[in-house]
Amino acid sequence: MGEKITFKSYKEMPINAMSIADMTWNLTGSWRNIRPYYDFKMSPCRLGCPAMEDIQRYIFLVTEKRYEEAWGAIIENNPMPAVTGRVCFHPCMDKCTRKDFDQAINIPAIERSLGDMGLENRDWMKKVDASKKEKVAVVGSGPAGLSCAFYLARMGYQVAMFESEKALGGILRWGIPEYRLPNDVVDRVISQILGSGPITVRAETTVGRDIGLDELEKEYDAIFLGLGLMKSRSLGIEGEKGKGIEPGLEFLKKVNSGETVSPGKRAVVVGGGNTAMDVARCARRTGSDVTVVYRRTMNEMPAIKDEIEEAEKEGVHFHFLAAPKEVVRSGGKLAKVVFQEMELGEPDESGRRRPVPVEGRTFELEVDTLFTAIGEQADLTGIEKKVECEWNMIKTTGEAGETSSARIFAGGDVVTGAASVVDAVAAGRKAAGKLDRIFTSADEPAVEEPKTVGIEEINTAYFHQTKRTLVPRIPVEEALKGYLEINSGFLPEQLEAEADRCFSCGVCNFCDNCWMYCPDVAIVRLEDSYEVNYDFCKGCLVCVVECPRGCISTREEGK
Amino acid sequence: MRPAKIPTEELMTSGHLACQGCGATQAMRFALKAMGPKTALVIPACCWSVIDGPFPHTSLKVPICHTLFEAAASTASGLKAGLEMRGDTETVVMAWAGDGGTFDIGIQALSGAAERNEDIMYCCYDNEAYMNTGIQRSSATPVGAWTTTTPVAHYKKRPKKKIIDIMAAHSIPYIATASVAYPQDLIEKFRRAREIKGTRFMHVLAPCPTGWKLAPELSVAMARLAVTSRVFPLIEVTDNGSTWKVWKDFEQTPVADYMKPQGRFRHLTDKEIDSIEEEVDRNWQIMLSRERLSADLPGLER
Amino acid sequence: MRKVIMGNHAVSYGVRACDVKVLSAYPITPQTQVVELLSEMCASGEIDAKFIKVESEHSAMTACVGASAAGVRAFTATSAQGLLLMHEVLHWAVGARLPIVLANINRAVGPPWSIWTDQNDSLSQRDVGWLQIYCESNQETQDTIVQAFKIAETVKLPVMLVLDAFFLSHTFEIVDILEAKDVRKFLPPYVAETKIDVDDPHSFGNLGSPSEYFELRYMIQKAMEEARDVVKDVDIEFKEHFGRGYGVVHPYRCDGADVILVTSGTVASTTRAVIDEMRDEGIKIGSLKIRLFRPFPVEEVYEVLSKAKKVAVIDRNISFGHHGIFFQEIKSALYGRTDVPIFGYITGLGGRDVTPKVIREIADRAVSDEKQERDINWIGVKV
Repeated sequence: MGEKITFKSYKEMPINAMSIADMTWNLTGSWRNIRPYYDFKMSPCRLGCPAMEDIQRYIFLVTEKRYEEAWGAIIENNPMPAVTGRVCFHPCMDKCTRKDFDQAINIPAIERSLGDMGLENRDWMKKVDASKKEKVAVVGSGPAGLSCAFYLARMGYQVAMFESEKALGGILRWGIPEYRLPNDVVDRVISQILGSGPITVRAETTVGRDIGLDELEKEYDAIFLGLGLMKSRSLGIEGEKGKGIEPGLEFLKKVNSGETVSPGKRAVVVGGGNTAMDVARCARRTGSDVTVVYRRTMNEMPAIKDEIEEAEKEGVHFHFLAAPKEVVRSGGKLAKVVFQEMELGEPDESGRRRPVPVEGRTFELEVDTLFTAIGEQADLTGIEKKVECEWNMIKTTGEAGETSSARIFAGGDVVTGAASVVDAVAAGRKAAGKLDRIFTSADEPAVEEPKTVGIEEINTAYFHQTKRTLVPRIPVEEALKGYLEINSGFLPEQLEAEADRCFSCGVCNFCDNCWMYCPDVAIVRLEDSYEVNYDFCKGCLVCVVECPRGCISTREEGK
Repeated sequence: MRPAKIPTEELMTSGHLACQGCGATQAMRFALKAMGPKTALVIPACCWSVIDGPFPHTSLKVPICHTLFEAAASTASGLKAGLEMRGDTETVVMAWAGDGGTFDIGIQALSGAAERNEDIMYCCYDNEAYMNTGIQRSSATPVGAWTTTTPVAHYKKRPKKKIIDIMAAHSIPYIATASVAYPQDLIEKFRRAREIKGTRFMHVLAPCPTGWKLAPELSVAMARLAVTSRVFPLIEVTDNGSTWKVWKDFEQTPVADYMKPQGRFRHLTDKEIDSIEEEVDRNWQIMLSRERLSADLPGLER
Repeated sequence: MRKVIMGNHAVSYGVRACDVKVLSAYPITPQTQVVELLSEMCASGEIDAKFIKVESEHSAMTACVGASAAGVRAFTATSAQGLLLMHEVLHWAVGARLPIVLANINRAVGPPWSIWTDQNDSLSQRDVGWLQIYCESNQETQDTIVQAFKIAETVKLPVMLVLDAFFLSHTFEIVDILEAKDVRKFLPPYVAETKIDVDDPHSFGNLGSPSEYFELRYMIQKAMEEARDVVKDVDIEFKEHFGRGYGVVHPYRCDGADVILVTSGTVASTTRAVIDEMRDEGIKIGSLKIRLFRPFPVEEVYEVLSKAKKVAVIDRNISFGHHGIFFQEIKSALYGRTDVPIFGYITGLGGRDVTPKVIREIADRAVSDEKQERDINWIGVKV
């Protein structure tokens, strides 16, 4: 800081009124009555993500081409971006502020690009050695189990995974067709997770049958149950058992195992969820004429919207407001199915209007194979004795998946019913975190209501309206020929372009505006941050307005 | 360090005496980032005579020759000649004057220097009135504006003087307008001008929260809206006044969006603002027609 | 080299010898030959300077301010209205302590338009802080230009030299022309102590608060006081180099004079002829030419005039509402130190010829002590 010059005698003065010092003695901060301060918020997309992925951060890192760090930012909350980037129902996009300006950012496509990079660059995943004495058994190797195992291993705990099938992955491997999630990707994701730390696997071991929970309890300090739902729910109608009627999940498992399937000329899929869409589209790939019959309307369908659209594009027919009533066989073969017409009545507990039969209105369809996809169930054999279950699901008592049994946690579909991969990933991670706190007797982290920003806080003058970058897809005719992945992922320039669209809501991405526009040179530009120099900040608040993303808040001085 | 949007070198320090949100100060900071330390300023009476700070202090790290109100261009002419004769041919002399010192009292010296094509830069930071003396109208004050000498009952009825047209008529090698809302563009233009020999005239719109009766935090926003409403087009005039280039790559905004947040226009009715918008559109069309015309001029190498 | 040249060209030749780097001027009768010849000298390379052909005198002087701030010699010439247009800048040059040299050709100011000589233009700039030197001959004019730069650069104040329109500016006389190579020994190349310099950046002339402004003005007065000696010393040094000196005042036949006529400019020459004539007649009379007007040479004036019985001051100017300006200056210089009576005479305004007859009339009235006004006597006015 400069010093103010005062003269005691004319003899000290330059005769020609020449400056001999600067003005930095003049602390103009005293003029200020409102103080700006950096106050980063949580981007709404992150709040929309069940796994709380730091979406803004990884997109920002992509804009800086810091891909390894970007991938690392996802991995903090989700060990399988290559999976979720393909199959997630991306609630983050519904929260994206950009949708109020033009179109939401294509977050899953960015996530997938990073996930794939993480699989290509094997050195990005740094292996962690066992550093803690506690051992945890993780039952089930679907997304919940994998996630729980991964985060426990990251923290140095020893994990043993139990899986009843020969191959790991659960729903990822058996329930999602390859055109959405190639087996190769599943294999690589699992191998990356298993290779990341002290994780051992006991495949073809069904807990509850082959080994009891009691035994596990003796050997392990805790147990995580991520069993998933691997049984299709039955229709509960006459003639359901028998040829021509197949549980959707079993059909998908066959398809994913590479077995030849032939549903015949006419296939009907009953249900409106993602399994129904997967079954319908797989059936289309065998050449069948496929109709989805759903008891509500398109609006109530729980399937991902994109999946419904894709199914339509691939020629799947939809028949709404109908439910199978009766199966008619002739010569041991399925001949036709009688459907009951429905209408929507009062809303049920889910908020959706309940379908009720329209008295006397039925119709028939000629069907070679009828697939059931009205929901899945868990197989809780040997489990229910140990932990309290309800509605054929494990009952949890806390956010982290605590059950009636002290050291047994549960998460994923077996707790929530059919939900999503990302929900399962989140559940696995939360359980891992809670177990760590139990093992280390750590305090629960303080929960604070996060501040966020909306379109009002965005200075849209700094953005141009652009369309969302769409991922390249193979044509429908090609898609229908087999199980080739439809979505081929962003090209590098598309990745950059889409990442550049991000508003980075509430979080600084070093755009320089605050520093650049400060009339008082009172913002210090540092390596990875800015600081207000309150000695000189006059409190004009230009920085607050010109921050494109609402990162700077204000408060009155002296309050 | 991450590359910065604009040069990080600061030739203006904190502690200066400008008001909150001063556009003239931003303009100086950006301009000097473009010009670099081998720049000598000539500052006539204007806000910057005060902003610089009291003797024996200064807030700039380049030499400044403060001078008389009407004498920016002539003092700069002499300074440049003196430096050259002293053997310093590298330093760029830049006159830095307000709108009063440019449009009004200083226009004679400016015209003289431009006609002689003195090897100087001349930047008018335009805050559209005599702000330093307490907001009196100048010939750069826009039509419709209140000032202390054009009170609401008799607000300014005459349009702003078209200084760019005047300067273009002097056949000087480079003329540009710039806005503090677009620092990169401003810096690029000053850099371009710096490399040219002869008289270069820069016209920077510099919002004055005090004089415009504007919340200081909105000063940059106003500078931007002035451009996007076409009230203050960003243009370049080259080839000795014959080639006009108008920046059009922005989303147009209504003139009312620019005028309404400013207290100096508060008295205007919607109808009056509409008629101002018509005038703005007409001027914009004139600019575009000049651009088209210059594109069709034969015999100029571009 | 000796040449017969006009007074205006004597100015140009003086400038030619001084390593002046920047010239800036606006034409005005009767100054034009000064800048015409300088233009030619620049064009031919005889002078290595930039000549800024500005659009007004105001710009001429501000261009000199800019150039001088850059640390080089700057020169301009003007007259009457032009000098008055420069007025604001004259102040600025003083406050900025810039050693600019200006030649003013004394011309009456309008209206009505006049191009002929009187001193009101330069004398109305009395209080701006410029040194003022009134020249009498072409030789003195040329030599004073050279002296002026040396004085200005020593005391860091601008210097104005003044010569009468036509009677001097357009009168041809023999002048021993000064060459730059000879002058350089007397007046080395100018090195400014402070200047506009990107390698040592300072701000010059910004806001001065009451706590500093007063002292800055005090220093200007100190410099003016110092200039009294500097002008004398420079003149002596000049004489050592070139054999010619002019003094700050020039007493003529004042020894034993009862009456002394005080003059300036070309009137001094005419007056000397009249003095010779009257001395021949046995009248004890002499004359005192005031060459240096600012700073006013109080001691030199007192030294000469205190010995006389009467002082008669001839003014080719008038401070309306008061007296002739030289008259006031003389009176204030002698006030309280002697009771010698001082008479004031106004004559020659607007170029009216001040002939020996006019001077004789003044001298006779002064000598005879016939009934007359003590402070202001109008000579030749048609009443």
